[in-house]
Amino acid sequence: MDLVALQGILDNLSFAVLFVTMLVYWTGAAFPQIPYLPALGMAGMAIANLCIATLLGARWLEAGYFPLSNLYESLFFLVWGITTIHLFAENMSGSRLVGVVTTPVAMAITAFAALTLPDGMQASAPLVPALKSNWLMMHVSVMMLSYATLMVGALLAIAFLVVTRGQNVELRGSSVGTGAYRDKAYRLTRSSESKVPLTTVAIQSGGTAVLSAPTQAISLSPQRLNLADTLDNISYRIIGLGFPLLTIGIIAGAVWANEAWGSYWSWDPKETWAMITWLVFAAYLHSRITKGWQGRRPAILAATGFVVVWVCYLGVNLLGKGLHSYGWFL
Amino acid sequence: MTTDRSFLTKLSGLGSAPRRYFKKELLPLLADLRLAIVLLLAIAVFSISGTVIEQGQSLSFYQANYPEHPALFGFLTWKVLLIAGFDHVYRTWWYLALLILFGSSLTACTFVRQLPALRWFTRNTSKFYTQPRQFQKFALSAEFDSASLDEAISLLEKRRYRVFRSGETIYARKGIIGRIGPIVVHVSMMLILIGGIIGAMTGFIAQEVAPSGSTFLIKNIVDAGPWAEPQFPKDWAVKVNRFWIDYLPTGEIDQFYSDLSVLDNDGKEVDRKTIHVNEPLKHNGVTLYQADWSIAAVQVKLNKSPVLQFPMAKLDAVGSRVWGTWIPLKSDLSDGVSLIARDLQGLLLIYDTDGKLISTVRKGMSVQVKGVTLAIADIIGSTGLQIKADPGIPIVYLGFGLLMISTMMSYVSHSQIWALQKDGKFYIGGNTNRAQVVFEREFLELLDQIGEQQQTLDSNIQLAKV
Repeated sequence: MDLVALQGILDNLSFAVLFVTMLVYWTGAAFPQIPYLPALGMAGMAIANLCIATLLGARWLEAGYFPLSNLYESLFFLVWGITTIHLFAENMSGSRLVGVVTTPVAMAITAFAALTLPDGMQASAPLVPALKSNWLMMHVSVMMLSYATLMVGALLAIAFLVVTRGQNVELRGSSVGTGAYRDKAYRLTRSSESKVPLTTVAIQSGGTAVLSAPTQAISLSPQRLNLADTLDNISYRIIGLGFPLLTIGIIAGAVWANEAWGSYWSWDPKETWAMITWLVFAAYLHSRITKGWQGRRPAILAATGFVVVWVCYLGVNLLGKGLHSYGWFL
Repeated sequence: MTTDRSFLTKLSGLGSAPRRYFKKELLPLLADLRLAIVLLLAIAVFSISGTVIEQGQSLSFYQANYPEHPALFGFLTWKVLLIAGFDHVYRTWWYLALLILFGSSLTACTFVRQLPALRWFTRNTSKFYTQPRQFQKFALSAEFDSASLDEAISLLEKRRYRVFRSGETIYARKGIIGRIGPIVVHVSMMLILIGGIIGAMTGFIAQEVAPSGSTFLIKNIVDAGPWAEPQFPKDWAVKVNRFWIDYLPTGEIDQFYSDLSVLDNDGKEVDRKTIHVNEPLKHNGVTLYQADWSIAAVQVKLNKSPVLQFPMAKLDAVGSRVWGTWIPLKSDLSDGVSLIARDLQGLLLIYDTDGKLISTVRKGMSVQVKGVTLAIADIIGSTGLQIKADPGIPIVYLGFGLLMISTMMSYVSHSQIWALQKDGKFYIGGNTNRAQVVFEREFLELLDQIGEQQQTLDSNIQLAKV
């Protein structure tokens, strides 16, 4: 089959699938009692993910090098990353709210790449001499993955801010392990307050023998995480995953620059913005363990990170300088 | 005697005052997390200014783009901009001061918080809980009427926990690597900063433009640290055997190549390599990178003359790089032509003294100009090399390697579970430092499994009774 025609079908298809998936997630959030919607949403995301993977694979086959040479390809790689991390986050949290925030962004990027970007910019282009290196694949793909991961993490932080608006919250989860202990109100609770009667589960799944119900009662029972806790912790975990990726991506770029041009750091605008992104998320990770900064403040930092990642990814290119141009506007 | 002693203590007290100030006041301030966060964000904000305002431009550029009337944002005129150093943000005293402060904060934090955290590993033995009330503090804890410690151990081990037992109490943990990660992150950041400082102090950058066939000593140092002197190459020179460019069929540049030899003082070749972009030559800690190119000269034959070499000079041209030379056609130099080249592909343009294009000629061909046969023997390119020594690189790379590994280690969540069997009851509780959601699921599954076991245990007892 003609690879170019296949790509044309796939990019529009992934847009359509993502659009429907977004509606599914939104409906599911508005009417949680409707069955099958969470599974449908997850399936939609998986289909979109596979469509984009095939699209990028076809381009790789066609051009003969890793498909990250222009804006179109990099946008689709970004969406592929976002859908992948979405599936990871949804699986980790079991919360359908993840899709409510990730699908609109994934859909909007796909719409821009597939529908708005002129055909001339969608065609694959030859690489310039400076980029003919195995480092390209390593550096650029890890950077793009880190952008996708940090974006999903930041989106979840935004969702957390929306869910907890007007509340005073304490965070769970940080390198020192804040929040793993009981709230004061629960400190002395005993049997009467058990929130999740786990024993009943155990009893229901019990043996076949004729028994009188065992009279064991759990007098000390687990205190569960609520929705805000879950969103916050998943956001933290996803950013915690994006941060090492960003670190590795920046270092790969630095080592490449040093091997190719003799300087691992040259204050190129893109380089500087990658450092700014790194600093903002480093501040986020530190703010979680700082007394007086917990609560919603780290989430606000993470939400700011969403804008910073976008400036780093595309905004810098509007300046039209340096080696990191996608051939856009210039 | 007594007065003497008190005087001495006073004296020593005076001597230790700065040290006490350092320990009690300065160190805690530097190690304060809030300072670290403020510094991280401040560096981020000031770095932005350097990406928005064009760096390293001429005075006239700033005068044109940042006029006094109307001033940008009401204050940002070119005078303010230049006084504050916004034309070279990353080299201003205030930016470097921020970086130094950041480095100090990082160092203080590493020694005050991170490294002492390693002590945690030595007090592992006292980790056992022997009182039921100790389980009340956990958000995730439960108690069972009867459950076996041995079963719990096997369940925990199946979940890849490392289990320690002391009598009727157990302590289990996994993902301890996640506790070491942040410590190593801080140490590797310090290594990168130290390596960067060493590089800035003892490294140098030089640039040389050398034609094919020439030999040069590295002399044109453009930037060097205060202690860079020992790095300068003194006992070896570089010979450019050949420089050439590969072009794509479309005429675009594919790659630049320089065949370089390193010669010792006696002119003997000690090293040789063909370098290109992304593939430098390294010798004695000095690295030569392919960075630029130029056209050095053209070799021509006029009628039956021997091969004559005319140097070519770069001409001021808008939008493209052009080299030219003038070739006399009469022995009294009263007439001649200009030869113009754009690249090393071999095409030359011939202009007369009036600036009119008369003809074109390719390398290896000849053309009749004003009754003279002009044959082009060769066009000599010269290679532009970026030459650099940075003794800090091994340390920076060590920091890079450790930082990559340790940030990944820091993703791992350190989970701990305690259990106790006492007075016929079984208590279990646990926590984790990062992955609360995943740990909660794991812990509840664990409770379910313990509950099931208890169930079967109970039913067996019941059956036995029947």
